[in-house]
Amino acid sequence: MSIAHHPSEALLAAYGAGRLDAGEHIAIATHLLACAQCRAFVRAVEQAGGSVLAELTPVPLSADALASVEARLQQAPERFSPAKAPPHQKMAGLPRFVQTYPFDEWRSVAPALQARTIRLPHASLARVFLLKAGPGTRLLEHTHSGVEMTCVLEGGFSHKDGHFGPGDFDFGDSSVDHRPLIDDGVDCVCLVAMRGRLDINGILGRLIQPFVRL
Amino acid sequence: MGQGMGLDRDAIRPDWAVLIVAVSARGDRAAFAELFAFFAPRIKSFMLRSGESEVQAEELAQEAMLMVWRKAALFDPAGASASAWIFTIARNLRIDAKRRTRRESALVAGDVDDEFHIDEAPLPDARLAETQTEANVRNALAQLPPDQLRVVEMSFFQDRPHAEIADALKIPLGTVKSRLRLAMRRLRSLLGEET
Ligand SMILES: [Zn+2]
Repeated sequence: MSIAHHPSEALLAAYGAGRLDAGEHIAIATHLLACAQCRAFVRAVEQAGGSVLAELTPVPLSADALASVEARLQQAPERFSPAKAPPHQKMAGLPRFVQTYPFDEWRSVAPALQARTIRLPHASLARVFLLKAGPGTRLLEHTHSGVEMTCVLEGGFSHKDGHFGPGDFDFGDSSVDHRPLIDDGVDCVCLVAMRGRLDINGILGRLIQPFVRL
Repeated sequence: MGQGMGLDRDAIRPDWAVLIVAVSARGDRAAFAELFAFFAPRIKSFMLRSGESEVQAEELAQEAMLMVWRKAALFDPAGASASAWIFTIARNLRIDAKRRTRRESALVAGDVDDEFHIDEAPLPDARLAETQTEANVRNALAQLPPDQLRVVEMSFFQDRPHAEIADALKIPLGTVKSRLRLAMRRLRSLLGEET
């Protein structure tokens, strides 16, 4: 199984620089869990960060800075024990730190469409939720007033940019008019980080409105 | 002193990785002081350029160096370079500090570390690619045209990189976007990845 759709270099760079919104960070981290190629690129961004840091013009600290840090070095460097036991997996394919967050129950938002909100422990411009769509469902034609990042966890879908399977990353904004068709045979589950409103064209739009305000 | 050897002393820097390992292995305070002398003022500079106040930048620089001491055992000399490792410590502390000033939560820096931790199960060749990254990235960065390098560097300091870089460099927004895109694409292809 190979991954065909990756986040843009600019998004990966913003992730590595620590500049992404918390919710969008989760969408990228979910893709990175599945994609060694993008992990290598993020390592590269961090290396670039190291080079940038090393070349900065130094700004002196207060005269007693080293002494005051040394005063806090009472104990020896920590010995780190192996990582704690993984938390109960709520959903395969999600990074470990996301599994520790509270998840709401699944709720129906439209025929053959369910959503499950992930409660983030700190403010985020993007809302993060799991979206599950039944086999063969044609999702509504929609555009975005903000940006929407999607990472496939199970199953797959297609729209005019191609087919998206597990690990694939899809980015939508106001310039994109999506009308995804869910694969036959299995449910499709995605993690979605969404900013702004979803503008839905079509009759089912009204049905789905409560969902977009979730 | 350095001239006697025909070398430019300024160009020679200690092997930071060796110093971090010395801190980890035997709590070497002289090694730590050397790391502090070089990195603390640069972390402070990084924080100031990221928009932190003088007081906050000073505090975060000290805090970051404390983390270098505490986490030295987690540093893998075969992995990221020392400066990249210290960069990630500073980056995570800055994220944590921003959350704390907004009083959004009682999280500690360790939580931010978790958010950047990926449970990796890379293929053998992918692992190789990751360990080769440091030298490759140095080369790749060195090969970028200066105007592209400039936008890459600045993208580390701005929350809304495009608009603010355009402002600082006095070039149109579209130019910033295309330079950054070109630079990142180039970086990716220089690293031998598919685009
Ligand atoms: Zn990828």
